[in-house]
Amino acid sequence: MSGLGAPVGSVTARSVRRLPVPLLLLLPGVLWLAIFYVYPAFQMFLSSFWTGSLEKGFSFSLDNWTTYPEAIGRYQEQFARSILYAVAATILTFLVSYPLAWTIAFKAGRWKNLLIFLVIAPFFTSFLLRTVSWRIILGDDGIALGPLKDIGLLPPEFRVLATPIAVISGITYNFLPFMTLPIYVALEKIDFRLIEAARDLYAGPWRRPGAVIGAVVGGSLLAVLAWIFEMPIIALLVIGAVAGALIGATLISEAFVRVTLPLSMPGVFAGSLLVLIPAIGDYVNAALLGNPSTTMIGNVIQSRYLTNADYPTAAALSFIMMAGILIAVIVYARALGTEQLTAGRGL
Amino acid sequence: MADQTPLDRIITRRQVLIGGSLAGFAAFLAACGTGGVASQAPTGTPPTTEPTEAASVAPTTKPTPAAELNFANWPLYIDTDDNDPTKHKTLEDFTAKYGTKVNYSEAVNDNDEFFGTIKAPLDAGQDTGWDLIVLTDWMAARLVRLGWLEKMDLGDVPNYVKNLEDGFKAPDWDPTNEYHAPWQAGMTGLGFDKKVTGDLTSVNEFWNAKWKGRMTYLTEMRDTVGFALIKLGFSRQDFTIDQFDQAIAELQKAVDAKLVRAFTGNEYAESLVSGDVVVSMAWSGDIIQKQADKETLRFHIPDEGGNLWYDNMLIPKGAKNKYTAELMIDFVYDPAIAAQIEAWVNYICPVKGAKDELAKIDTDLANSPLIFPTADMYAKVTGFRSVTEEEEQHMNDAFSTLIGA
Amino acid sequence: MAAVTGSLELAGPPASIAVRGSRWIGRNLPFVYVGLVIVYLVIPVAVIAMFSFNDPVSRSNLVWHGFTLKYWLNPLGVPGLGDALAVSLRIAFASTIVATIIGTLMALALVRYDFRGKGAANLLIFIPMATPEIVLGASLLTLYVQVGKPPLFPLNELTILIAHIMFNISYVVVTVRARLAGFDRNLEEAAMDLGANPWTTFWKVTFPLILPGIMAAGLLAFSLSIDDFVITNFTAGRTVTFPMYIWGAARIGIPVQVNVIGTIIFVAAVGLVALSTVVQRRQASRDFPRARTA
Repeated sequence: MSGLGAPVGSVTARSVRRLPVPLLLLLPGVLWLAIFYVYPAFQMFLSSFWTGSLEKGFSFSLDNWTTYPEAIGRYQEQFARSILYAVAATILTFLVSYPLAWTIAFKAGRWKNLLIFLVIAPFFTSFLLRTVSWRIILGDDGIALGPLKDIGLLPPEFRVLATPIAVISGITYNFLPFMTLPIYVALEKIDFRLIEAARDLYAGPWRRPGAVIGAVVGGSLLAVLAWIFEMPIIALLVIGAVAGALIGATLISEAFVRVTLPLSMPGVFAGSLLVLIPAIGDYVNAALLGNPSTTMIGNVIQSRYLTNADYPTAAALSFIMMAGILIAVIVYARALGTEQLTAGRGL
Repeated sequence: MADQTPLDRIITRRQVLIGGSLAGFAAFLAACGTGGVASQAPTGTPPTTEPTEAASVAPTTKPTPAAELNFANWPLYIDTDDNDPTKHKTLEDFTAKYGTKVNYSEAVNDNDEFFGTIKAPLDAGQDTGWDLIVLTDWMAARLVRLGWLEKMDLGDVPNYVKNLEDGFKAPDWDPTNEYHAPWQAGMTGLGFDKKVTGDLTSVNEFWNAKWKGRMTYLTEMRDTVGFALIKLGFSRQDFTIDQFDQAIAELQKAVDAKLVRAFTGNEYAESLVSGDVVVSMAWSGDIIQKQADKETLRFHIPDEGGNLWYDNMLIPKGAKNKYTAELMIDFVYDPAIAAQIEAWVNYICPVKGAKDELAKIDTDLANSPLIFPTADMYAKVTGFRSVTEEEEQHMNDAFSTLIGA
Repeated sequence: MAAVTGSLELAGPPASIAVRGSRWIGRNLPFVYVGLVIVYLVIPVAVIAMFSFNDPVSRSNLVWHGFTLKYWLNPLGVPGLGDALAVSLRIAFASTIVATIIGTLMALALVRYDFRGKGAANLLIFIPMATPEIVLGASLLTLYVQVGKPPLFPLNELTILIAHIMFNISYVVVTVRARLAGFDRNLEEAAMDLGANPWTTFWKVTFPLILPGIMAAGLLAFSLSIDDFVITNFTAGRTVTFPMYIWGAARIGIPVQVNVIGTIIFVAAVGLVALSTVVQRRQASRDFPRARTA
């Protein structure tokens, strides 16, 4: 414990070096995860090479690796949907969360604890209750849609529930704090003097580059969403670009882009993983808010495991999904340039 | 049709009961008192079961009742005190008689889900923690196939032997009736909002494009595929795998045409109430209950036929209190106790003699064809034939693909 | 200093009407936005709260039938609800505390030190988050029933707790690490230069600085634990938790009492934090009167 704050190379550190401090710090967690995660998961992995049935018993054979390509082939649609929905939800949570976290971290003063807590508090109420609540609110003739239909703004057959939009919105809603919290935590710790200094350095207005960057970012994000939601891509690209340009020109300063944003990247990184990963494996939102053609890979794993007692395929699908996520995480980390994070140096 | 009028009658009855109306409850209590159905004082003295001679199983030569019994059942599936939902008179009566504390848990929400939680201990040859569980016929058949159930000692359950309704006797997966003791049965049919759809009578309504996006099917494979088999003119009790595949194809058409909003469990009933859904494959008891909220909801067994299913009390392998579980099975097969449960639960009662006992409490209920179906209705509904493991795998697989998972 | 706090990061060009307008937007838009998001987040809870006063005629609590307080007067009046809630709260508190401690230690090790096997440790923390819940639940259950005869882990609250700690650890590590990364080490060095030993430095400098991260991680862990259904369902045996209770009830209609409990949890949590904010404010203005900013 005593080497905690020791900068590498100082006298204190050298004297403590011999103690395997990091290993001691890691030990309880590693043990816990090894016993209660790795070992059972490994057994699960072995079960993906099983063949047989519940009644006749299962037997292990490496020849059963074919379960993997079969599973991918058969469920590629659900895999694709999981990725699209999860990416869309991640982008949406980011778009909602960043300004939210930023405002609370920098503008809310003494109220920031309360506000950030208000963001989390709804999530202490069971997600199932909240989802049922959304079903009441968004019912075909419910509080929200009913009046709009009555005055003719929406066609009578219009609905939100049991559509891909409902599933993605559900994921977005349910995972929002996973994005907001890490971004807030990252922003909140930024030393304000850095931003002041940056403002002094880049004091001038930053309209043109702000507008350009805003247009590019806004346009591309909305275009991706439009593609996923099967909405007109060009139209949304234009809307996104215009909105992004406006925001970029009015709200974004050079100091923000050069200091705040890079310093908050660890939070963005953590947040997007915390949303993306569980969202890919989620099945509850698709089950409660979707229709038969919005099922995700989580629903398949669920039904393979519970309904069909097809443990080999369930295990294979799980491991395909986990491998895919790991690869994506590594690529993403490289792309965002956050690998220095894991080396422990922030700035 | 024929069952519409009596059905409407129970609706009103249900509204009174379900609505928690004190008057209704008082009437119910009074009926209990005069009928001598059950003891008014759940304290002390051995109660209730004098009227039926076989009731007193003397546990003298047998092992003594255990201190507790772990009982897993579906939610809202036992008589419940309208003023204090934590109280179940039947269980209190059981405790009064045998001194056994019943740990009653509404832990079963879904056959597959519950199976998932007991599979591992049973597979490892360990006790599941439950002494008595209630699961649907096909899941019971699977457990029998797997050898994961205890056989009842029929000598311990004279009421059960005597009073089990003939229609539930000797299914091919339990020819000697040693594994399964039906708890309640039910029928699957057309659930609809009469105000929107008018009267519906045909199974073809499940393929009617008029209800596009406002219709639900069930996640229960046997129910959903059953209707497709009926539509195609095949028998649910005697179909070939090829006919099954045709039925799946028939359902796939409806899914592809986006007629089906969702495949659901009991949740469809809530959607019928909210109005998001107007036609459902539905379970009889659900619709009756929801009529309190939306009186235009109707249940009808399609003229072409419907599904009959039943949930069974089963003793999982290695149960610690097997004998006490048998006592419980025998206890609820006492017609007086069965009537007491039935008056609250309103599904189909598998206990002979319960009708007369229930008549003492409530004539309307006792005459309801949805609780004691007429011979006509029994003729209309059929069970789903039992299947081998290979067939079950093939069917589940095809059905999963249909529902998108 | 205090003057700077207004619109620190916003572009602040010379005044013209258009610019003043955009400045006004810049200054107030963020708060309007925060308000809107919070409304969006709270709306479902508001509907839940509203229906806790409903007087439904059946198990279905979807349609407004009339106002009543009877469920508020007897919020635990359905069988099993009180027990389920107590179990969930116990597990949530215990798993949050244990996982937050274990996870914070791991985050410190991973951010502060270079050592062999660090990549593996990072991997070990990531994979549980990438594992479908059903796989976590099912594989853990297999472990529980296979080890020991009689079982070393008979299914009960403890097995749920073990599972919750397991899935919470990763979330804590990720959250705390985000706070630790980019931590200004100069502050610690300064403390050491001033003669503080590493232990004192940790508790007086490092810990207070990462405390918000730890608190955030704890909140996250708590909300994950109290809301978990899938893993819990596998590892619970005969125990019933609050989400399991709701899941079961949802098939036939959620009892009004559940709405009452949901509302109480929300109001109590917000109330507690509001109270602590006010108390902190009082203390702060007493200790540092000039700290009144904004």
